[in-house]
Amino acid sequence: MTVLNIEKTQLTPSILLDKKQGLVEIKGDSLPENTSEFYQPLIAELQDYFNSPQDKTVINLEITYFNSSSSKLFFDFFDLIETASLKYDIDINWIYDEENESMEEAGEDFAEDFEKLTFNMVTK
Amino acid sequence: MIDSELTLLDELENLKKDFNTTVDKLSKDLKRSYKTIERSDKQQTREFLKLKALNKEIADTQKEIIFTMGAIGESRSKETGNHVKRVAEYSKILALKYGLSQYEAEQLKQASPMHDIGKVAIPDVILNKPARYTPDEFEKMKEHAKLGHEMLKYSERPLLKLASIVAYEHHEKWDGTGYPQGTSGEDINIYGRITALADVFDALGSARVYKPAWEDEKIFQLLKDERGKHFDPKLIDIFFDNINDFLEVRNTFSDKDVVSLKPTFNS
Repeated sequence: MTVLNIEKTQLTPSILLDKKQGLVEIKGDSLPENTSEFYQPLIAELQDYFNSPQDKTVINLEITYFNSSSSKLFFDFFDLIETASLKYDIDINWIYDEENESMEEAGEDFAEDFEKLTFNMVTK
Repeated sequence: MIDSELTLLDELENLKKDFNTTVDKLSKDLKRSYKTIERSDKQQTREFLKLKALNKEIADTQKEIIFTMGAIGESRSKETGNHVKRVAEYSKILALKYGLSQYEAEQLKQASPMHDIGKVAIPDVILNKPARYTPDEFEKMKEHAKLGHEMLKYSERPLLKLASIVAYEHHEKWDGTGYPQGTSGEDINIYGRITALADVFDALGSARVYKPAWEDEKIFQLLKDERGKHFDPKLIDIFFDNINDFLEVRNTFSDKDVVSLKPTFNS
């Protein structure tokens, strides 16, 4: 599969993984009923993508709200990215609304936790 | 050293590595869990405060709508100045002394200013007539109770539902001679019985285009005469047992210095 595209719902974000463009996007609220099941396709396709990635990979994260189990999942997600970043060029844009303090802090927390990753804090 | 000892040492060395890796992973996971909990607590606090503020906003909005609608009703009718405010206060006192909860009494106080909202649908010529009504006009005027009920009854908001009861039943009489339904006794909702007394007491003491304000003695006599006829006898007893509370409200919200919202009537 070259493109993974999941539309957003009230409780789940939209997900895009475009292997040709080297683009990953997660946008919206993340409160899935079964978090690991929901993100499983993304994780699986990402693992596959990093077998032969593009020269540069851009990851745009525009998450407006996430629950605790999503938080756990994002740690796993960043673990995977961090491992790949040792070999490949990866940019992460953490995009948030200026008024969304929770998401600003969450981005800063993740950036602090994954020192090897480049987090660009981008306000909307 | 013999070979078997070397193998054992290698194995131990590997076990040590595995153990350290596992401990590192566990401690990393634990740290992350703490972080997640902390973040989630912070988020919960924010949401909690936001919800509280929103709830207050909803309650305030309801109050404001109801008060504004009451004021609209009042601006269309002969009642002037602080009439609805006084009726609201009298209703609350009666509700509390009758034994309703603080919450119910407060709800009634909020809703009672809307008792005459149906008057917005009554023609001006009738509403502002400075003389006694003809029987036909009186019939038309009486429709305001039903009209008020019609306007409010579809609302799912508790306060507006209560207001619809008050609008509908505030002209019912204890002995069944009131309108629009002609219900009697405790078949009339307590909110209707209370507002009926509060409304009449205030109307009698206020000057209107067709009558001057009554003297207190005359008002009290009428209320006594109408005990068990127009009014719930228990409420009349409560009224006289607490007469000073009512007079104090009347003083506090007197019509002196009040500019009426009512359009002046010129014939």
